Amino acid sequence: MLVALVGQARRLAAVNPAAAALGLAPGLPLADARARFPDLAAAPADPVADARLLERLATRMAAFSPLVALDPPDGLLLDITGAAHLFGGEAAMAAAVVAAAVAACGSAARPALADHAAAARALARFGAGAAQDVRCLPVAALEPGEEVLAALASAGLVWLGDLAARPMAPLAARFGEGLVRALRAILGEVAPPLIPWRTLPPIHEEARFAEPIARTQDALAVIEALLLRAGTTLQARAQGGRRFIVELERGDGLRRRLAVETGQPTQAPAPVMRLLRERIETLADPLDPGFGFDTIRLAVGRTQSLPPRQIDTAGTAAEAGDISALIDRLSLRLGADAVCRLAPVDTHVPEAAQRLLPAREAPPQAWDLAPAALPRPLLLFDPPQPVAVIASVPDGPPLRFRWQGQLHEVRLAEGPERIAPEWWHAPDGQQGAATGPGHALSRDYYRVEDAGGRRFWLLRHGLFGETEAPLWYVHGLCA
Amino acid sequence: MPPAQERPCGPADLAGFPSAAGLAGFPGAADLAGFPGLAPARLHEIHAEARDWGAALAFALGAAGGGTGPVVLVRRQGRAALQLCAEGLVGLGLDPARLLLVAARDERALLRAGLDAARCPGLAAVVLESWGPLPLYDLTASRRLVLAAERCGAAVLLLRGQAPPRASAAHTRWQIRAAPSAPLAARAPGPAAIEAELLRLRGGPAGRRWQLEWDETHAIFRTGQAPFPTSAGGGGAALSGAVVSLAGLRQGPAGGRRAA
Repeated sequence: MLVALVGQARRLAAVNPAAAALGLAPGLPLADARARFPDLAAAPADPVADARLLERLATRMAAFSPLVALDPPDGLLLDITGAAHLFGGEAAMAAAVVAAAVAACGSAARPALADHAAAARALARFGAGAAQDVRCLPVAALEPGEEVLAALASAGLVWLGDLAARPMAPLAARFGEGLVRALRAILGEVAPPLIPWRTLPPIHEEARFAEPIARTQDALAVIEALLLRAGTTLQARAQGGRRFIVELERGDGLRRRLAVETGQPTQAPAPVMRLLRERIETLADPLDPGFGFDTIRLAVGRTQSLPPRQIDTAGTAAEAGDISALIDRLSLRLGADAVCRLAPVDTHVPEAAQRLLPAREAPPQAWDLAPAALPRPLLLFDPPQPVAVIASVPDGPPLRFRWQGQLHEVRLAEGPERIAPEWWHAPDGQQGAATGPGHALSRDYYRVEDAGGRRFWLLRHGLFGETEAPLWYVHGLCA
Repeated sequence: MPPAQERPCGPADLAGFPSAAGLAGFPGAADLAGFPGLAPARLHEIHAEARDWGAALAFALGAAGGGTGPVVLVRRQGRAALQLCAEGLVGLGLDPARLLLVAARDERALLRAGLDAARCPGLAAVVLESWGPLPLYDLTASRRLVLAAERCGAAVLLLRGQAPPRASAAHTRWQIRAAPSAPLAARAPGPAAIEAELLRLRGGPAGRRWQLEWDETHAIFRTGQAPFPTSAGGGGAALSGAVVSLAGLRQGPAGGRRAA
């Protein structure tokens, strides 16, 4: 049984046959179901994974029919016109399709055959047993709203046949246009188009040469032409490439692969060419054409949606692209981990309150720009540097401290700012936080200024109640 | 050109700076009369000792925070175990989301990454953190940075830690030290204070010093030791102008007292 969050309530999203036999139905609040059957097993619903499974299944169904359409959230429509005889008739084909679907996703499937897609869909979802006549379906098969369903019931209309026997115009006037449209689709009077599901083939371009080309410059010119062709394909698909792989095949069979990644999806050859030149420059062993390259292939390894954009006369859209080009270049030369952005982490521990994420993958994160209650340092030592401190016990500010062999007289001091350890991360919870040698200690931070005007962020690791002799560290340099 | 054109600070300038040197600082940087600031589309060198590194970085990033575009900070990989603290950056008026951190393997990579960043249009500033003599940074390298900065409009700030000044094409060269702050109540350290000494100014006299204090509300550097806290920028213009000159006069003895 699967549970989904609908509004503020957790409701059943799907039930298995055993739960259905107990009288549970989708839409029931989980609390009600638990009240009736306390030992229910429930798992959260995952619509994204379901959609992905459906797409995978649709890809498999290409074995049966060239025209497969998705009927989300859990249906597939196959157009088997002219294909059924290959599988020994319609019934045999339906059985084969169900067997393949069950083998692929491991759940039950309910097939239905009809002359029209809408009729087949209604039969599969609302048909009972082997009924093949859409006129014997309940009016719920039209999937009207709750109100319309109640109005139909009060009018004594139970089956589709009842509706089909009546003139359409009064029905539309009383129950709405949508009901009539759904009815006509199921009866086959209008045919709403099927949108076929197609997986696009990967983009692959190739150039073969009658005579091998021996100059790297020429090879780059060919790659640029290939990129232009790939760019046209990408443009037609409203996609942009994120990863480009170039394979150079030499006359003697040696292959070289060059792969570049961009931070933003791109269709234009120029940024990819810049990255490729950079890549060739930084190769440990240079690109050796030998007796020349026979074949050059280009593959777009990863794509991302890139809708066409109106060209901006002010040029503001171009600026965002420029820093991403810089990020791409630097990431390629120095490594993706060397070009980073700061990302916030929700914690009070100062050194853990931020982390570095590769700028190519992570967009800029939103930061809380409200000024902190107490000023924080600009630079943090990692790890904090131990210092010898003279301070009044138990939690007075430092009077003087010795760091790197130099004595600093404290002129001004502010503190302590106490930061308690995160006991919820301790393995044994709250009890273990303050006891035991390996456990986290509270920290007292002092912002001090020495006689020379330098400001430090000093830290006493542990309160006097927590540990025998707390150690002092300098944790940061203030501006 | 009358120096009073700049908004918060006032009329007189002691040393009589030539105005053409670029009174336009960063929008958020100190705009004291005669203070050349860290002008955009120029190369600036900022010298500092190791212990004043926080002050030097604050001088550079505080100025960079006044712009609007992204800020690129190129650092040497693993040179020191000093990492940036985002909350401190927020205190300096720089949104950490605008910051792009680049870790360079060696000096060559550092200068090259800085040059690439300076050639990228739309950036507010490029800050390079270097350490030691930096032999690759010669006249040619600095001229390249200057040309890139002039073409693309970003300020290029080269922080030089424990390095002797070298001949270069930079517009200004600064020596930054941490300065004692004005104490708050209960003997707490006040806002960040630094002492900026202008070692070199292209086309202008050098050698002056300024005491700068960070104003967190307006995210700019101001003259320190203001006798009367002024609330409005317009009304306080004349007063803080006088403060500039007083601070300049008092410079020597005050420093001597602190050193003693």
